[in-house]
Amino acid sequence: MERSSDGRVDAVKGQVMHKISNALRNFSAGRHLLIGVPYLWFLLLALVPLLIVLKISLSEMEVTSVSSMISWRQGWPTLKLNFSSYLFISSDALYVQTYLSSLKYALLTTLICLAIGYPFSYFMARSAKHLQPTLLMLIMLPFWTSFLLRIYAWKMLLVNNGVINNVLMSIGMIDAPLEMMNTPFSLMVGMVYSYLPFMILPLYANLSKLDLRYLEAAADLGANPFKTFWLITVPLSKAGIIAGAMLVFIPALGEYVIPELLGGPNTLMIGRVLWDEFFSNNDWPMASAVAVLMVLLIMLPMAIYNKYQSEQSGLNS
Amino acid sequence: MSIAPKGNAVCEDLLRVEEVTKIYDGTIKAVDNVSLTVASGEIFALLGGSGCGKSTLLRMIAGFEAPTQGKIFLAGEDITHLPPYQRPINMMFQSYALFPHLTVWDNIAFGLRRDHLPKEQIVARVESMLSLVQLSQYANRKPHQLSGGQQQRVALARSLAKRPKLLLLDEPLGALDKKLRETTQLELVNIIEEVGVTCVLVTHDQEEAMTMASRIAVMSEGHFLQLGSPDDIYEMPNSRQVADFIGNINIFDGIVEEVESDHVIVRSADCSHYVGYGMSGNSGRAVGVALRPEKILLSKEKPAGKYNWCDGEVTEIVYFGAYTTYHLKLNSGKLIKVQTLNNARDLSGNFSLGDRAFAQWSDLAMAVLTQ
Repeated sequence: MERSSDGRVDAVKGQVMHKISNALRNFSAGRHLLIGVPYLWFLLLALVPLLIVLKISLSEMEVTSVSSMISWRQGWPTLKLNFSSYLFISSDALYVQTYLSSLKYALLTTLICLAIGYPFSYFMARSAKHLQPTLLMLIMLPFWTSFLLRIYAWKMLLVNNGVINNVLMSIGMIDAPLEMMNTPFSLMVGMVYSYLPFMILPLYANLSKLDLRYLEAAADLGANPFKTFWLITVPLSKAGIIAGAMLVFIPALGEYVIPELLGGPNTLMIGRVLWDEFFSNNDWPMASAVAVLMVLLIMLPMAIYNKYQSEQSGLNS
Repeated sequence: MSIAPKGNAVCEDLLRVEEVTKIYDGTIKAVDNVSLTVASGEIFALLGGSGCGKSTLLRMIAGFEAPTQGKIFLAGEDITHLPPYQRPINMMFQSYALFPHLTVWDNIAFGLRRDHLPKEQIVARVESMLSLVQLSQYANRKPHQLSGGQQQRVALARSLAKRPKLLLLDEPLGALDKKLRETTQLELVNIIEEVGVTCVLVTHDQEEAMTMASRIAVMSEGHFLQLGSPDDIYEMPNSRQVADFIGNINIFDGIVEEVESDHVIVRSADCSHYVGYGMSGNSGRAVGVALRPEKILLSKEKPAGKYNWCDGEVTEIVYFGAYTTYHLKLNSGKLIKVQTLNNARDLSGNFSLGDRAFAQWSDLAMAVLTQ
């Protein structure tokens, strides 16, 4: 009696499953469309311009325009590649130095953001549940004001007759104003200030998902809180650390506005060189070559990250 | 492994919990003035539904929660305020909490490394643990590459690796499916007995508690309802709550008619019960008479005598293979369950729906519940 009713239930289940899988198959066209739209967007507005930049970087500058890449000789198209811009960049110490110092500032920004952001995210994730939305909102609050305005505000704070120097002098802590503006210090203040939320958000998302039983298990097995942090919390939040570091490092490497407004002439960063090549020197192939090399420089950590990610998902499957 | 007695103190009671109370948020009493002792080598089960306080009690023994009041002693030493990482106690967590980024080997070695044991000793201990749980060939796998049963064994190996004085098991078989649970249960007990470790186990599954533990404490609302051996609790429940929680039981509400030193007579709506042992209290008192379904005999003929039988109509038959449960509707409308063993293949002598049947039982089959 019971067996026969079970059999019927199975048959009904089978029919339902069949219907669902059919429905899913019909949906797949719509699914491709949904995925396709953003891909098309990226293709048109990122990949195509990037290819154009690549093309320009391999051309020569003529009087008002860039030389065309393909010339016709006896009815046959000939591809003319000009590597002079790249050769010039690699031979000129200034460019190499600029890349290196960009790398240095981007790395430093990433490390400082991590050093400040990690404990911050950690305690945010551990704070009372009802406080967390408020804390999260406070992190995002600066985005309500324009990025440019906030960088200008830092300028007002850091200049010789700015707020900080005035306060310090009025309370007698210093006699002469501190030289803060247009130094690597002011650059790092601006960079860390601007990019810190991008470190905190992915770290917080990761740390708030951390299963606290792992920490209890570690304590149970004799690990003190310090050991537990290093052996369990940090390794388990690796994905968050990497995501945060990418979100900070990549835009920081090509940053233009902050070094322009806060860095002064002594802080070399590649974004400003790029600007100068385009708008002051009007040397488009050179500017494009600088840009292409910068993209390559960014793609390197991205590739490492992707490899790590695929290894992780490979492990999980 | 055995636990060496410390000094001249005899470790009869390895764990002693003294009047422990845990209050959350100033008002919620999770554990209410509980005392217990666990002898060395014993497997002790805390049994109860969710929210009964069993897990909180276990977490206080492990050191994850501090008691609001009371003290906890291990081998005579007050450990009430010792942090978990300094207690010679290890726990096998519910759903195991194996470190996902470490291999099986490193998971088991984790606790040993914290003790800064020499490398050779760690290797030897991990290898012996792996062979104990028969997972030697899986040493380099990550936890998520293992099946549920294998993960459970890694968790056991990890919690035994440090040779704890006390092993805590939090719903040790809760994450396994029914079939696997039965085999794992015996395996687990065998390993625990082989190692000889004292064990406190938390479970909501009464079968698990009965098969694994030497003593059981049934918990509800933060306190113990009954504490005793599995058969004590099954055969002699001291309250309706315990009787209801452990297995199937029929409870007849009745009034005590006669109390003697060797018997008690209780009158209920459908029958008179002659209970073959004495009890305290006076006649006229309202009690419950608890009767297990498997202790009732079902027949077609009216039994002789005036006590310990009743009759009714068969309203439902549930066939389980090894036995059949009949639901009998008594004259007062009360439903009772009767279990009969199917020890013959021929089922023609059995009852069918709508049959009149007589249920009878012996003098000693019942437990009188006064609360």
